[in-house]
Amino acid sequence: MGTAALVAQAVLLGAVVQEVLIGHADVARTMPLLIGLAAAFAVRGLCAWAGEVAAHRTSSRVTSTLRRQLLARAVELGPAWLAGERTGELATSATQGIDALDAYFARYLPTAVLAALTPFVLLAWIVAEDWFSAVILVVTAAVIPLFMILLGLEATRSASLQWERLSGLAATFYDLLQGLPTLRAFGRADDGRATLERANGELRDETMSTLKVAFLSSLALETLASVGTALVALFLGLRLLHGSMEIGTALAVLVLAPEVYLPLRRAGAEFHSSAEGRAAAGRILDVLDDADTAAGAGGDDVRSVRPLPDPATHPIRLQEVTVRYPGRTVPVLDEVELVLEPGAHVAVVGESGSGKSTLLTVLLGFVTPDRGEVCIGDEPLADCLLREWRARVAWVPQRPTLVRGTLEDNLRLGNPGATGAELTRAVECSGLDGLVARLADGLATPVGEGGLTLSAGERQRIALGRAVLRDVPVVLLDEPTAHLDAGREDSLRELLTPWLEGRTVVMAAHRGGLVGRVDRTFTLVAGRLVDTGAPGPERAGVMAGPSGAGPEAAR
Amino acid sequence: MSGRTHPARRPGPLARILRIGAPDLRRFLLGTALGTAAALCTVGLLACSGALIDKAALRPPLYTLTLLMAAVQLLALGRGPLRYAERLVSHDAALGALGRVRLWLYDQVAPRSPAGIAGWRNGDLLARATADVDLLQDVYLRGVAPLVTALVTSVLTVGAVALLLPTGGLVLGACLVVGTGAASGLAWVRRRRLGTGEGALRGALAADVVELLAAAPDLVAMGRDEEYLERVLATDAALERRARRRSWSDGAVAAAVVAATGAAVIGTLVAATAAIAAHQLPASMVAVLPLVALGTFEVVLPAADAVSRLADHTEAAERLLSVAELDVPVVDPVDPAPLPDGIGIGTEDAVLRYRADGPRALDGLDLEVVPGRRVAVVGPSGAGKSSIVNVLLRFWELESGRARLGGTALDRLRQDDVRSRIGWVGQEAHLFPTTISGNIAVARPGASADDIAAAARGAQLGPWIDSLPLGLDTPVGERGAQLSGGQRQRVALARALLAGAPVLVLDEPTSGLDRPTARRLIHDVLAATEGGTLVLITHRDEDLPTLDEVVVVDDGRVVDRYVPGDGDGVPSAVGRRDARAAR
Repeated sequence: MGTAALVAQAVLLGAVVQEVLIGHADVARTMPLLIGLAAAFAVRGLCAWAGEVAAHRTSSRVTSTLRRQLLARAVELGPAWLAGERTGELATSATQGIDALDAYFARYLPTAVLAALTPFVLLAWIVAEDWFSAVILVVTAAVIPLFMILLGLEATRSASLQWERLSGLAATFYDLLQGLPTLRAFGRADDGRATLERANGELRDETMSTLKVAFLSSLALETLASVGTALVALFLGLRLLHGSMEIGTALAVLVLAPEVYLPLRRAGAEFHSSAEGRAAAGRILDVLDDADTAAGAGGDDVRSVRPLPDPATHPIRLQEVTVRYPGRTVPVLDEVELVLEPGAHVAVVGESGSGKSTLLTVLLGFVTPDRGEVCIGDEPLADCLLREWRARVAWVPQRPTLVRGTLEDNLRLGNPGATGAELTRAVECSGLDGLVARLADGLATPVGEGGLTLSAGERQRIALGRAVLRDVPVVLLDEPTAHLDAGREDSLRELLTPWLEGRTVVMAAHRGGLVGRVDRTFTLVAGRLVDTGAPGPERAGVMAGPSGAGPEAAR
Repeated sequence: MSGRTHPARRPGPLARILRIGAPDLRRFLLGTALGTAAALCTVGLLACSGALIDKAALRPPLYTLTLLMAAVQLLALGRGPLRYAERLVSHDAALGALGRVRLWLYDQVAPRSPAGIAGWRNGDLLARATADVDLLQDVYLRGVAPLVTALVTSVLTVGAVALLLPTGGLVLGACLVVGTGAASGLAWVRRRRLGTGEGALRGALAADVVELLAAAPDLVAMGRDEEYLERVLATDAALERRARRRSWSDGAVAAAVVAATGAAVIGTLVAATAAIAAHQLPASMVAVLPLVALGTFEVVLPAADAVSRLADHTEAAERLLSVAELDVPVVDPVDPAPLPDGIGIGTEDAVLRYRADGPRALDGLDLEVVPGRRVAVVGPSGAGKSSIVNVLLRFWELESGRARLGGTALDRLRQDDVRSRIGWVGQEAHLFPTTISGNIAVARPGASADDIAAAARGAQLGPWIDSLPLGLDTPVGERGAQLSGGQRQRVALARALLAGAPVLVLDEPTSGLDRPTARRLIHDVLAATEGGTLVLITHRDEDLPTLDEVVVVDDGRVVDRYVPGDGDGVPSAVGRRDARAAR
């Protein structure tokens, strides 16, 4: 419709000029034509308006869907996968990258459709009026797609490099934000600046080489269009001179000639300006297609799901579990065998880096073993819904993350439906009551990003509080006392012991832990789990008496 | 011209950002000149083509047309290369300016970290460094140069048309003013209706996404990931609603420009027709005026677009500038004292709060560590142990009281001077996503491989590194994700050892270590820092015996101090403290 208005506009303009030039008409006589011309412009304006609104509508729907899919997938791929990714980079793909796709959906696709239609409509009219000009236009315009293909390939390649640089810069900046205290402590804030400057320079170089291709392509298109238009104008002039053509037709053809190229040129330009979005899309699709590490939250898999046996009554068994990390010659876990009877309290000790945390992440389903399997009762965990399994497990990680919100929000993450009494008990059991009492706003104090600065020990106790709130049969503790002093550890142990009773507990530890009663201690040595039997005091002090005599006495 | 029709309501932010980016003036002028030349080519090409046809239609002898024919070819061929050159020059200049804005942002954040930006979300700061800075590209690319180009081209073409036909010039000028005026008016209405805040929403979205990704392990384990994903998407939906509403006004701007173009074409056509009828204008000029009008609008369009997005650009600029408006919590003195030779450290009646309304993290702390002494600081978690580090390293400013290095008050010394004397291992040390060796070398770039390896051995990393196929060149992953907690702490310790500072402040270096390793580590640290001052924050009693003194901290105060081994029969300093607190 916009194209029809365009043709009408050109024809009417030509007609007016012809009337004036040849027919010596005055304003009044050309009035109907002028009104038609105004109508043509009005229709074009409305088309532009509607086109804009429609394009944005489609595009924002697509980008929102894509954002949901990307983030859902990233979370689904799980913590083990995320640990190998750079947060700043992934976040930039999910925000700016998807926003950049707007240029593709809202600008490029509509212009591409127009580019495929408009020239033919215009040419159809021109052929009817003046086949000679049409031939010039067809010959020159036919070269354009060829150019676009050649340059488009090059542009796509360099655009994905450019996106890599941009998201790399984002990752660098994000990492610098977190590492600034360290850099400043060593007087190296300028090194961070230099890193950023380097990333800036790389981005600039890559962007410029992308742009050069884009500009070269529009130069080629523009020159072709100009030469084509000029040729048309020249031959029109010559034929007018010869008297074999009417001025009205000539003018209409002249006005329309650039319009034949315009959609192609615009599609070319939009193709290049949407390059960032397409490059980001490439990255996003990689994540969506990344099936190799799909050790994620499971959940929406279509494969047949087996009902999960209740871990409160069924043993948890690790059978020949082997886990390798890329770049390491020895497996972290090497054919680990472990049976956890319901209600058993097990300590896993070993040197730092011996695989204690990995063992817990295997139990959580964050890491899928390269070989072997985890079974609940007789069902392999791989055949059950991980979401369902994790709902039965509480985990106190080494480096818990606080979310933005109040202290209470953070505790309630463990169990949003907890009652006030349960919350109070969790605060007491995790030894947070002292902290809460010191805070003017108590549990309503904002913590997490932008909130109150808490020590590592306090954060760990918040994680402990979350676990207590969960009230589940399986508890995984990852060095829960890494930041606790012996006195605090003793009092916490006393508070926790009744709560832990009747639950299956696995505690990774290197020293006296929170668990009052330890049934068995296992030691991880070179990826092998060795049953070191009932805990002895020299066993890295796992069994510290509840009296609080402490490791000092054990030495 | 558009710049004039749109009164610069808030000239501050954009002008300041433009100055910060400081694009090379010569490049900028070159780009503008090239752009203007290309724009004039566009208008000229249409004018000459129109004139050529008009003239030809009157069938003059061929030679009268050759000049116009040549002009048409020249302009057609000249326009492309001119545009190409203009875009390369201006984009290069703009990208350079954006880089400078990013570095400027870093320079603003660095002196404020960590205390000054504690209330900010990292994801939001990240969005400022990426999305907001990128948005400003338009300010450099389309903010000034196209305005100048549009202005020059408009003035020249309106002038030329006015010379031919005053009424034509008047009509064209009026249409240009009304058209761009309408575009900016619509943009103004949009700002009134939607308000600013799109940038803030984008920042919130980025911060939400970062939080979702960072907290994913905790959230997934607790089955709360879907809920947090929905929270992110709610922000996304708010952005989408905004985008939908603004697409209406974007469309209106596009329609307004088409309408103004139409008015200009018809208006000049009418004026030309009337003038020809009155014999004031040769008939051969009839097509020239409307075609010139078409060409001029094509040139002015990008400028109108830029003007219509002024509100977005202003908001982006304000978001960047707001970082510079934060207080700098710790500043160097105007007239710094020379760095003293002494390596004793201490505090007197030190009071520290992390937030004005927060509790006192330090509450009258008196700590004296004489030169060369090795002191352990113990106390319950949350007692203020790490706060001592934050004060000694000048990360946070005291509310009252003093901190000293070698007898000189810390606030009279340059921060870098203080830190050059103090080696530090934080509680959750940050590792950069490079290799083990790269992380250790942060302390002393250019350190030899032997020095780095020695520091790694001193931090008890030797056997583990020997077991790695890549050794010290093993990548550690983001935030050291590929390492265990104990390994991360030891890499950070190796870093502090490499710095070789005479004062060492270690915040729980043995957390996450098994006992034999921890014992060896303390032993090696003491040996490596012989003669230096050491403050060792720990919660492990087994770390204590080899130290000179134990200081017990609780509720932000020193509550006890003793010489280990002297406490005859009192095995746990903390236990003793707890016993006292229990009374």
